[in-house]
Order: sequence, then structure tokens, then C-alpha cells
Amino acid sequence: MSKKVEHRVALVIPAYNEASVIGDVIEGLKKSFEDQPFYYEIIVVDDGSRDGTADVARASGATVIKHILNTGSGGATATGLSYAQQHDFHIAATLDADGQHDPADVLRGVTTLMNGEVDLLIGSRLMTSEGMSRVKVLGNKGLSLITNILFGVNVTDSQSGLRIFSKSALDRLRWKTSGYEFCSEMLWRAKQIGLQLGEYPIRAIYTDYSKVKGQNNWNAFNIIKTLIKRRVVELFGE
Amino acid sequence: MSRYLILFFLTAPFIFAALLNALINYKLHRISLKKYTAQTISWLLILTGIAVADPIYRFLFSNNLTQTEPLSLFDVIQITGIVAVLFMANRSRTKLDALERRVQDLHQELSIQLSKKD
Repeated sequence: MSKKVEHRVALVIPAYNEASVIGDVIEGLKKSFEDQPFYYEIIVVDDGSRDGTADVARASGATVIKHILNTGSGGATATGLSYAQQHDFHIAATLDADGQHDPADVLRGVTTLMNGEVDLLIGSRLMTSEGMSRVKVLGNKGLSLITNILFGVNVTDSQSGLRIFSKSALDRLRWKTSGYEFCSEMLWRAKQIGLQLGEYPIRAIYTDYSKVKGQNNWNAFNIIKTLIKRRVVELFGE
Repeated sequence: MSRYLILFFLTAPFIFAALLNALINYKLHRISLKKYTAQTISWLLILTGIAVADPIYRFLFSNNLTQTEPLSLFDVIQITGIVAVLFMANRSRTKLDALERRVQDLHQELSIQLSKKD
């Protein structure tokens, strides 16, 4: 994975019990990124898995950070980005471990950010909503609307796991929640510190596996509850 | 001494302590101006409500807008208790939040450091 060190790109994959698919996700990324003129590193944050996710990821050539405790998607993403920041990466991309993101979309996002003015680029599954069930479209649009109402951030897909971060975002962006609600909170924090947000359309690949592993729609209520709590608490906490 | 005055003197220390905490946190840059303003306004509203409870009650009663009894000693104790619990709950939640953040940071850093040894 060593190339010209003009740009160092970290590909961060938070994973929890994804041993059966993580190897394919890593191989897919390697195929897409191997011909690119920049250094890249695949970082898998194993969020306390019990199915050997870390071993599979390591065997596939990824750098593995193993969480001692299961913290949730937000915690695992924060660890991966913190690693990228500590190791002087210029750009980082986060993507889901269940294989729902096309590696070509990840690469397109990274090159778009390299050539643009944006600090945080979100891969939106809802600009076309191709391949997504109506229930998921409704749930994701609802959460994007809630994100807009609570935090004043207007994006089409606030819950997308495919995000590309500039060096400035890596250095400055922090959030407090550790579950799935971090997706919305991250956008809010980005707005608070004045980062430039952008979106680009991506294709979501839903396999039988990712449909089973993906978020339960009822979890949306938990996310909304936590976001409202965070919004109110923010007025009183340190 | 009027029961309304007793209520004011019993609750005022908690409210002033909360206002002082907010000011210290703001001056130490632990909270933003927005948070400081929100906290100060909330506590000042409670203080004002308690300070003007007597004239408000008299006004409402004399204009036949309420038929409730004047403040009893039990009410005074109960309201003081509520304000005290509010003050302590807010402090505890703030401390818990900070502690949670530190544990998360520790776990994150520990995981990164341990991964280097693998």
C-alpha cells in the first residue's frame, strides 16, 4: 500500500461481528485503490466483536484497532478517525463494514474531496435512492428532516456511513454520542465549527446480509430520542 | 416572618450557587456564551417566580382568578426540596457527562495504543 506520499488516505471501517463479509469489503477497497497515486491504509476498528472480525481483517491486510468494549458505531468511528489524525493522514473516509458501499463510490468521494473545497463530504444514498426499500427511504428522509429541525443542517442523507473528511475536519471534528445518532451529531458539530459540508450521490448495495445486519427501523425512535436529549442537555451541560 | 420570604431565603442559596457555577464555567471557557445565557435565564426565571410568588398570588386571589389556599409550611419545604433536587441533578448530570467523555477518550486511546503492540 505504499505509494507517493503526497496524500495519505485512511479508509476507516468500524465493524462489529462482520467476520463473514469484512474480508470482501477490504479486498474490494484494495482493488479500487491499488492503482491510485497516493498512499492509503485500511483501518478496521473492531468494536468488541466475538466472531473473529479482527483476525479476518488482519489477514486481509488491514490495520486493526480492537476495542476492548463494545461502544457503538459512533465510538468506533471516533477511534478510527483519531488514529488517522494521530498518524498524519490528510484525508479519511469512513464506510460501513457490511458491504453496502461500492468501493468505486469511496474512491470517487476521496478524489472529489482532494480536488474540492469541502471539509466533510457525505455519500448520499437518497439523491437517487436506487436499490433502497421504501421503508428505509422514509426512515432515512425522516431522520434527515429531524436533523435539519434540531440542528439546522440540511442534507439529504444524514445517516450515511460513507463520509470523507479533510485534514481540517480530522483535526477539529469531535462528537459526544457513541451510537448511531453520532451521524446527525457529527453534522451538527461540523456546522458549529464552521466546516464546509458537501454531498455526492452514491449507490447503496443491499444484500440479504446487509438487510439483516442493517439498522432496525424502530431504532430511528431511539436515535430521535437521543438527539433531542443531546440538543436540550447541550444548553445546560459543560 | 412571611412564608413566601422563608421560601425565598431557603431556595435562594441553591439558585445563587447554580448561577455562580454557570458563571465560573463560562469564565473558565468550559461552556459557550449560548449555554451560559440559557442556564442563567433558566435559574433567574425560577428565582423571579419565587420572589414574586406572593404578589402574584394576592393579585390572582383578589381578582377571583384562583381559589387555592395561601402557601403552607409544607409547600415551602416541598418547593425548596424541588429546587435543591434540580440543582443537585444538574450538577450530577454535568459531572457524569464529563466522566463519560473521559472514559470514552481513555478507551479510545487505550485501544489505539494496544493495537500498536499487536
